[in-house]
Amino acid sequence: MEHSNKYIFIYSVVMVVVIAISLTIVAVQLKPAQEDNIRIEKMQNILSSVNVTTKGIPKMQVMEMYKKYVIRAFAVNNKGEVVESNTDKVFPIEMAAELKKPAEQQLLPVFVAVLDNKDTAFIVPLRGKGLWGPVWGYLSLKTDYNTIVGCMYDHKGETPGLGAEINTEIFQKPFFGKKIFDDQKNLTSINIIKGGAKPDDIHGVDAISGGTITSKGVERMLRDNLTGYEAYFKKQIK
Amino acid sequence: MSEEKIIKEKDPWFSPRNFKLLKNPLNLENPVTVQVLGICSALAVTVQMKPAIVMALSVTVVTAFSNLIIALIRDTIPSRIRIIVQLVVVAALVIIVDQLLKAYVYDVSKKLSVFVGLIITNCILMGRLEAFAMANKPWPSFIDGIGNGLGYGAILVIIAFFRELLGSGKIYGFDVIPKAFYEAGYVNNGLMILPPMALMTIGVIIWIQRSKNPVLQEDN
Amino acid sequence: MENLFNLFVRSIFIDNMIFAYFLGMCSYLAVSKTVKTSMGLGVAVTFVLLITAPVNWLVDTYMLKAGALAWLSPELADLDLSYLSFMIFIAVIAAMVQLVEMAVEKFSPSLYNALGIFLPLIAVNCAILGVALFVQEREYETIGEVTTYAVGSGLGWFLAIVSLAAIREKIRYSHIPKALRGLGIAFILTGLMAIAFMSFMGIKI
Repeated sequence: MEHSNKYIFIYSVVMVVVIAISLTIVAVQLKPAQEDNIRIEKMQNILSSVNVTTKGIPKMQVMEMYKKYVIRAFAVNNKGEVVESNTDKVFPIEMAAELKKPAEQQLLPVFVAVLDNKDTAFIVPLRGKGLWGPVWGYLSLKTDYNTIVGCMYDHKGETPGLGAEINTEIFQKPFFGKKIFDDQKNLTSINIIKGGAKPDDIHGVDAISGGTITSKGVERMLRDNLTGYEAYFKKQIK
Repeated sequence: MSEEKIIKEKDPWFSPRNFKLLKNPLNLENPVTVQVLGICSALAVTVQMKPAIVMALSVTVVTAFSNLIIALIRDTIPSRIRIIVQLVVVAALVIIVDQLLKAYVYDVSKKLSVFVGLIITNCILMGRLEAFAMANKPWPSFIDGIGNGLGYGAILVIIAFFRELLGSGKIYGFDVIPKAFYEAGYVNNGLMILPPMALMTIGVIIWIQRSKNPVLQEDN
Repeated sequence: MENLFNLFVRSIFIDNMIFAYFLGMCSYLAVSKTVKTSMGLGVAVTFVLLITAPVNWLVDTYMLKAGALAWLSPELADLDLSYLSFMIFIAVIAAMVQLVEMAVEKFSPSLYNALGIFLPLIAVNCAILGVALFVQEREYETIGEVTTYAVGSGLGWFLAIVSLAAIREKIRYSHIPKALRGLGIAFILTGLMAIAFMSFMGIKI
């Protein structure tokens, strides 16, 4: 049926207002639950980097587990000074946002966890770029700030079956026990080697066949992120 | 599709005619295999049962409620901006569904990623709104929406069932292939997980359906 | 530059909109009966992607993302409008398609005759919204990347629909089981083509 322009105009304005209001109400109502989910996912990721599995554990218990294992957190800058020691303020720091700042202003979080065998582990967040989009992860180090205890990586949209394999154990396991500094205390990071690393290479792991660009992305992520922490780690090792 | 019957006289809520609206899309008027609508957004989520079921439910909710809303306001919509009004209603419903998924089933919502948003351009929605809801009363439209959503969901779940069973040896995340099979040399068919097999599976479903219902067969 | 080329080739062959993500299947199956019409639709999709993807990216980066409005005033830095992105994207796409249609009609009637009937179809083509959403999800950083990805995806879609149409034109002369004719065989063909395209997966430039 035909309507006047005025009717159409009023109709669209009313529609837009009604829908905008209802959407905003929904978004505001659900925001806390969504933010909880994101926080819990971060906790699960951190725990998984020290090889504590949270699979199938209900949300509320993940929070308790996290509190049990991760005793505190602080943030350092690229000169190796501790700039933030309030655990609650460190947790919300997002590497994606920090890496966009100039190097000297970045806040680099370190999470301190005490494991079941009473060992202490230091966990650092990682953030980089894969083939299609962001990749991220957490890397945990022994108290020598050198030997890797565990790690976890994840991605947004790497190719299934190829680059996407970085979030599997097959890719992550070989990192365990590798070292990020050489004997002269130079940062070597971890090299991800196409075609396979030599068995005695303590700084290298195998790349994913067919997922070379994603593997290189992880390698670059490790090097870039660890460079920021280098000064702090060296101060601790002495 | 073109000769939709318009329901004018008053029907009881669960009259045979309304029941037919619910049942027909499951087979003879299936939106995917017969009307060729809405294949776009969802085959990619059929690797496992769980995301497929969540997707099927989301689409059903959106088709049902968009049909209901459009049928309620169908006499007030100016015909010139009809399509935009429909799109806006659909988009708003999809946003609400997406927010709910993010809040309550976060891990599934991560797996569905952009495909929830793509429900907006799912042809089933616009197709049903244009062909049915614009000309019918709210209640039959609502049922029609549920019917079509379920008809679509049924195909998704069937595909997901076969892909998950043959591809990963699981159903709804539970292992069903006994260990002894693997020891005897059985391997999961990795090809089933890859995209091409979703297309093949749906081709086979169409084949079976059409052999059973010769009315649906095409000429060339 | 190398990176962009890589992205371009990958979005055409490996992450093909049809074969890897099934996007734009409805029009893909409905219009792929002859090569000529499918070419028209393929060009139209590529063209619309070229325009809408960068616009949607700009809208997302400068209006919708968390903190995206900070350039307007610092107080708006906390605002996160990303929940509106579906709505805005589809509105931008519908509006752009309308604009393109009017512009093409005015300036090039011959092109309008070729593309005209397809343009309205495209507003609800999943591939268009799909690219906008993938760009948002994968967090592309520059407009160059976004445009390359959009054109690559469009060409991939074009390639897919034209090759299916070519096969379907020939297949009329083959003896196919009755129940499989038409839609059924189209799906199986697409599946076979998708397997063929998977052989590109290993390529590295």
